Amino acid sequence: MSDADETLIEAVAGAFRHRDARGTITAHPAWHDLDAQGRDAAWAQAAKLRAMESALDPDGLSSTARAVLARIRRGG
Amino acid sequence: MNDLDLLLAPIAAGDADAFGQWIARAEPELRVSLRGFAAVADCEAVLQEALLRVWQVAPQFTPDGRPNALLRFAVRIARNLALGEARRFRTVGLDDDAMTRLAGHEARTPSEPDPRLRATIATCREELPDKPAQALQARLDAGGSEPDETLAARLQMRTNTFLQNVTRARRILAECLERHGVDLALEWR
Repeated sequence: MSDADETLIEAVAGAFRHRDARGTITAHPAWHDLDAQGRDAAWAQAAKLRAMESALDPDGLSSTARAVLARIRRGG
Repeated sequence: MNDLDLLLAPIAAGDADAFGQWIARAEPELRVSLRGFAAVADCEAVLQEALLRVWQVAPQFTPDGRPNALLRFAVRIARNLALGEARRFRTVGLDDDAMTRLAGHEARTPSEPDPRLRATIATCREELPDKPAQALQARLDAGGSEPDETLAARLQMRTNTFLQNVTRARRILAECLERHGVDLALEWR
């Protein structure tokens, strides 16, 4: 796997996502640039990152959970 | 708490903190339930959208009397969303039957978090060099609410450099955790 692929995977493994005009959370732009192997790697990496994040968070929340709760508290 | 439905009443009443407690326990199972869709849908986006929809419909949700009804409902929402995304993107060759089979699995009972994991990760974080430690901390502080470009700019790094530092941090942590007998992939099953 090239350095460029690794960087794309790392980006997709992050929790930040945009919303489209209808308010639906959309795929990370870099996700479309990954092949099936890269997407699998991004899934596995995200799972490990979230496990670490939730272990470190006092409330057991991963960045996925915190992003969702922030949206809810802003009014969904 | 093996039955997360104990949190259903406050969630349905609009208690976001209770929903946070529910997510903390439900997220690993939800994420694993999407494993089969990893190559055909952005599971992070699907998972976040599914959680928002669970929150929106929770006041009208009627449990079926078996444990973890809301979690099983959430798994169905997430998988149906993933199925919709996979069909929309038409990215790889999964036929309709295969995708429908993927969408039909049942949720398992969520496992208890390991209290030792936090201490082990904290120990391992002390091994991180400055730049990877800063990049990882920025991701943790942002909690998924800011794009990597913003986090990188704040640290005066290019986005690529920032992501390379996150990768480096993750690898160093993984090696350290392995030495301590921790496999994060197993923690998330």
